[in-house]
Amino acid sequence: MHFDPQVAWDSLPKLLAGTLTTFTVLLPVLVLGLLLALPIALARFKPGPRSVLAAAYIGFFRGVPSLVLLYLIYSGLPQFSLVRETFLWNVFSNAYVCAWIGLALTHSGFMAEIIRGGLAAVPQGTLEAAATLGLKPRQILFRLRLPMAARYVLRAYQNELLIMVKSTAAVSAITLVDLTAAANTVFDYTYDPFTPLMTAAAIYWCITNGIRLAFSAADRKFNRYLVRA
Amino acid sequence: MPSMGFVQQLGIGALTTIQVAVCAYLLAMAIGIVFALATLRRRWLTQLIWVPYASIFTGVPSLLVAFLFYYGGSEIVSSVLAPFGVSQSIEITPFMAAVAALGMVYGAYLADLIRSAIQNVPHGQFEAARVLLVPRTTIWLRVILPQMLRLALPGMTNMWIVVLKDTALVSLIGLKEIMAYAKLASGVTKEPFIYYMLASAFFLAMTWLTYYVARNVEQWAGRGFHPVVAKGASHAL
Repeated sequence: MHFDPQVAWDSLPKLLAGTLTTFTVLLPVLVLGLLLALPIALARFKPGPRSVLAAAYIGFFRGVPSLVLLYLIYSGLPQFSLVRETFLWNVFSNAYVCAWIGLALTHSGFMAEIIRGGLAAVPQGTLEAAATLGLKPRQILFRLRLPMAARYVLRAYQNELLIMVKSTAAVSAITLVDLTAAANTVFDYTYDPFTPLMTAAAIYWCITNGIRLAFSAADRKFNRYLVRA
Repeated sequence: MPSMGFVQQLGIGALTTIQVAVCAYLLAMAIGIVFALATLRRRWLTQLIWVPYASIFTGVPSLLVAFLFYYGGSEIVSSVLAPFGVSQSIEITPFMAAVAALGMVYGAYLADLIRSAIQNVPHGQFEAARVLLVPRTTIWLRVILPQMLRLALPGMTNMWIVVLKDTALVSLIGLKEIMAYAKLASGVTKEPFIYYMLASAFFLAMTWLTYYVARNVEQWAGRGFHPVVAKGASHAL
């Protein structure tokens, strides 16, 4: 068990390329997941069939591991000729697109719950005051409820974001060479299990702790009115 | 339609998944309890071990840790045993690597959870028990444990589901569990969608079962806080 700096240095270009893939997978997932989560979180507020559907959506995508979803989309969907023989094939034959869709669905399930919690935490009196002042429902949502909810859910979002960073390791199962997969390929030809995996672990550690620092700074900035005496 | 033979194999795989998840969760609980009790008071010696441990294992994907343990596990074990004069090399199976990786990663999360549950038990409870000269073991087992359980259970339930779902991911190191069999079946039958749907149905069923059991357990753990009024005795209130 020892760390070989020379091997680490030599394999760094490969690992950095893997890091780039990890981010290429991650960033669209975050945007897509957030866009999907917002209407679902809003649908949970009014009782009725839409709320039940949204609850089922959240339950399904939170209950199923992201790896299962990735397999389901990447190798499961092409079973249907509808996918294979129409324009959809151009979309679903691309591993990146499958990774984006699969992880975004998981992410949206968790984000919908987080956003719902944040929106529910906005004091009722504030909303009543806004309505009394004649703000339109759309204005209340975008200028009041969402900005306030964003401040409340900052910590929960940090946890979810860190989980997503680590979930991207699953995309190696559908042929993408992300950071984990890149470390494995280096292991395959150097036969040194420690150096590439530990270097990759160090890169992951820097990413996650960078995110933690960024969120601490954001928390200090946005929640500065909550300073504890 | 799925063939019964493959469904049976999927069932065997599901059992392995549950085995791995249960073993990993027990290991995580053991690690979590030890670290929670050790770091209850801030001492620099325990902080010296705990802070890097938590930082590393919560900052790195569990899949990567599993790969590290699987490929390098036997070397790690023999280098740990070497100072004790034991020069035996053991073979690391995917099962062992998966359990060790998930246990160590989620042990770090559980330690935080358990520690904050203990710290949120009102301090007067400790003091009152000590003043009454209750023995130390009795304080922990009969006074603190029942009260911290109520606080820790929701988080522990969530963590169990996360461990179960992560078992699917860690199967990539070559573990013969439900995902491996689903992959095998879909390769042979060319009907991947059905088998992956069956796998997701298994995970959904497990999640549902977990929440069903957890609701009852949480009700039991919180029995001192939300008294259940027995039928016919409601006039007592």
